[in-house]
Amino acid sequence: MMGRKMRGRGMAASWYGIARTATIDRAGAWAELDDGGTGKIVTGVTEIGEGILTLLAQVAAEEMGIKPEDITIGDNDTARSPEAAHAGATRQTYMIGNSVALACRDARAKLDKELAEHWDVEADSIEAFDGEIWSKGSNLKMSMEEAVDICKKRGVVPVGSGSFTAHGTGLDPVDGSGSPWQAYVFGTQVAEVEVDTVTGEVQVLGIWAAHDVGRAINPRGVEGQIEGGVVQGLGQALMEDYQLEDGHTKTHGFAKYILPTSLDIPEINTVIVEDPDPKSPLGAKGIGEPALVPTAPAIMNAIYDAVGVRITSLPATPEKVLAALQAKAAAGQLEAAE
Amino acid sequence: MSEQTPTDLQLEFQINGRNMKRRAQPHQRLLDFIRDDLALTGAKEGCGAGECGTCSVFVDGKLVKSCLMPVAKANGTKIETIEGLAGWGGDLTPVQKAFHKTGASQCGYCIPGMVMAATSALRENPKADIEEIKERLGGNICRCTGYTKIFEAVEMARDVLSGEANAAVLEADGAGKSYIGNNVRRLDAPSKVAGRLRYAGDMVMPGMLHMQVLRSPHAHALIKSIDTSEAENLPGVACVITADDVPGEDGFGVFVHDQPIMARGRVRYVGEAIAAVTADDMLTAVRAASLIKVEYEPIAAVFDSEEAMQNGAPVVHDYAPDNIVKHIPIRKGDVEQGFADADLVVEQSYDTQAVEHAYLEPEAGIAYVDHDDVVTVVSPSQNITHHRHMLAKIIDRPINKVRFIMSPVGGGFGGKEDMIYQGMLALSAMKTGAPVRLVYTREESIISTAKRHPARITYKMGLKQDGRITAVSFRMISDGGAYGLSTEGVMRKAAILACGPYNIPNVQIDTYGVYTNNTPSGAFRTFGAMQSQFATESHMDICAEKLGLDPFEFRRINMMQNGAVTHTQQQLGSVSIGRVLEAAEKASRWETGPVSMRGQERADLGGDDTRPPCTLGARFRKPGDDDRQEVA
Ligand code: FES
Ligand code: FES
Repeated sequence: MMGRKMRGRGMAASWYGIARTATIDRAGAWAELDDGGTGKIVTGVTEIGEGILTLLAQVAAEEMGIKPEDITIGDNDTARSPEAAHAGATRQTYMIGNSVALACRDARAKLDKELAEHWDVEADSIEAFDGEIWSKGSNLKMSMEEAVDICKKRGVVPVGSGSFTAHGTGLDPVDGSGSPWQAYVFGTQVAEVEVDTVTGEVQVLGIWAAHDVGRAINPRGVEGQIEGGVVQGLGQALMEDYQLEDGHTKTHGFAKYILPTSLDIPEINTVIVEDPDPKSPLGAKGIGEPALVPTAPAIMNAIYDAVGVRITSLPATPEKVLAALQAKAAAGQLEAAE
Repeated sequence: MSEQTPTDLQLEFQINGRNMKRRAQPHQRLLDFIRDDLALTGAKEGCGAGECGTCSVFVDGKLVKSCLMPVAKANGTKIETIEGLAGWGGDLTPVQKAFHKTGASQCGYCIPGMVMAATSALRENPKADIEEIKERLGGNICRCTGYTKIFEAVEMARDVLSGEANAAVLEADGAGKSYIGNNVRRLDAPSKVAGRLRYAGDMVMPGMLHMQVLRSPHAHALIKSIDTSEAENLPGVACVITADDVPGEDGFGVFVHDQPIMARGRVRYVGEAIAAVTADDMLTAVRAASLIKVEYEPIAAVFDSEEAMQNGAPVVHDYAPDNIVKHIPIRKGDVEQGFADADLVVEQSYDTQAVEHAYLEPEAGIAYVDHDDVVTVVSPSQNITHHRHMLAKIIDRPINKVRFIMSPVGGGFGGKEDMIYQGMLALSAMKTGAPVRLVYTREESIISTAKRHPARITYKMGLKQDGRITAVSFRMISDGGAYGLSTEGVMRKAAILACGPYNIPNVQIDTYGVYTNNTPSGAFRTFGAMQSQFATESHMDICAEKLGLDPFEFRRINMMQNGAVTHTQQQLGSVSIGRVLEAAEKASRWETGPVSMRGQERADLGGDDTRPPCTLGARFRKPGDDDRQEVA
């Protein structure tokens, strides 16, 4: 016997490819260790909200040996910066992140060479972190500000460039065979729902999202991407519906096109799994798009667990859930009568 | 706007602590006045209809949606905007710092409004608990963050303000041993939480003109004539452009360049651009656009993707008489044999709907021709590299005479990959020699820009009694709408990933993107993979039930292992599906059991890691119901 409020759980798995599909992907970047021990990086991309600028600053800081806040990020401009191409396809961390890492290594190598000669040590003994630079196994150590100054006084501006390539191949037009991506990620989500059998309304109370991201450069940023993806998935699962009638939009504002608001948000429990990418300097893969793939099916599977109706047509609006419950009840009565 | 007219209003008010006396025009909303006249652009226009909260300000201490308030009502009031919370160069407030600390801002477009709503919540009730905080933020939409880090920020600020938490929690975590794997606070957050970051629609240039686009009311029609003379003669109008003004090869798209900058002889969907007016101010541009006379001859249209594939269906593009944008086939093994070998064959069809990106920042941009004759477009484009290539051909200029600058993107999700308006801006800047700005209204953004491809999927899976999958046939038909945009790529990704991370010896996958006279479909976060895997993961559950298996167990039986060969016959290296299955199972305390309606018997429900349900019907909105809850 069903009560009014029924709870249930469902799960769904997923996979996704990183960067452009079935083609070679590439991105370039420039870097400079600058006066005052600061750093400059230039690549043709800007923030679309995912946190790429912070991530690039972290990568550059780590590679240059300085602080993220001491990184200046240059123009996102086709006339002033090298090609980074599009901000999409879960390619920012992978493509731009790695090209920046390579550019910074290039710049650092020039600085290290000068400093090694200055100190009379091997260049590969030189390490730097958080604004300080030293030669391993010695007491030679100075600030990055001094190191850049010395490098420049020796006549060298420590600049570098990087180009990163991801080797995808096209698909065969007949059997589709090919290697579309060099890096894949996998994810699994569990949803817990409550279904109101009188109104048909579904509330998502909990989501557990486990995603492989390769290497989490900024774990909090990864969580943010997963939370945002889950909620977009929830919107598509339960309420969002762009409707047309003979080509005319019926949902032309947010009063008709319903989006998730603060009251619709489940507790989102994120688990970051790290399976580093062996084909790139950073080992990071990506999370922007894959985060929302399993959400809607996990919710539909949870609705089934709760009330035994399978919604195969999105979104699972209250009307649709009610209709399915009524159809199920009618079928049950029929069975009972037989 | 500078000329005084007898109808001008005289206003006296205080804003961010400063007393002011200003003129305003009666048609202005408080939002227009703050943004256009006072150049305080922290408050944004996300919808213009009171539904999103991006325009939130305080008027006499009360949180107000400034897009709903006529400016006349602001006379004699005290106004506080996001810029007033922490003055320029001033220290951020604890609420702003908490947003910075928790990573509560992503694109940032909703954030000034969110910070205002959060500030209001804690002013109204410094002890607000999480449920009350959620209620009080109920009038503010965020499309990026999933709200979770915003809730965390408001709770953190509450605790710091009440003294329950030390203010040090708001500060950075520190370097540790590495900046990789480190929760470095977002570098862009201070500019977002303070409302300082300027998006394209917030930018102004000296001598800037304003653009209004005229759009098609028909889904499919021939354009017999366009008469722009009356519009051109209206005082204040600088130029009107149509397809005739395109000097080069007119066509753009991510894969196939089938879309003209403005309709060329024929319109293919409602909302397609026909012409664009550039004028001294928006009102004049809007008035002039209404004076353009277009003679249409409506022709047969097609609105259903499967009907569009039938013989004799209206043809949307002459180059594709079958209306197929792209068909992607994938074949592996022998599916017929696979089904013959199966103990069980399960068939089901699935549908997914069209979805709006609903980034809070509507499309916007500024174009100008610089001193070196470089045609420059500043816009939240997700692909300046490709846009530069296309625009150079369209306006017939060398590639280094075209420059794209990517402005901060107020949410993209794939929806800003298409060069749908940058061409019109460039042409008008070239024609007028002045900077030209275009800002879409929310309605314009919804009706005329790309959506997530709706899909119809037919699924057939063969299985052995022990749970192994022997074969899958998968067919997906997707409505690509009137133009190609990203449809080809979306069909490809949907196909490659269709059958999930499972070992399936025999596979037959077909995805079809189809032209119709609906709003075009385009790139949207997951690029088709959400649609195809929705079907797969629903189907997996149906099959697990028939086999009496736990859903995790059933997936483990079939999952790819290290070195697996995919459906496109690519050999993989390390495969982490087993690890993520285990991680989700463990984290959720999943109670193992076969798929069935077992919610009533489960012991794993309602843990601390779930939220309590909302009260009965409080949030129940019927589709078509115009009222949204207005809490804040
Ligand atoms: S712009 Fe005012 S509520 Fe959306
Ligand atoms: S951060 Fe809220 S809409 Fe983008």
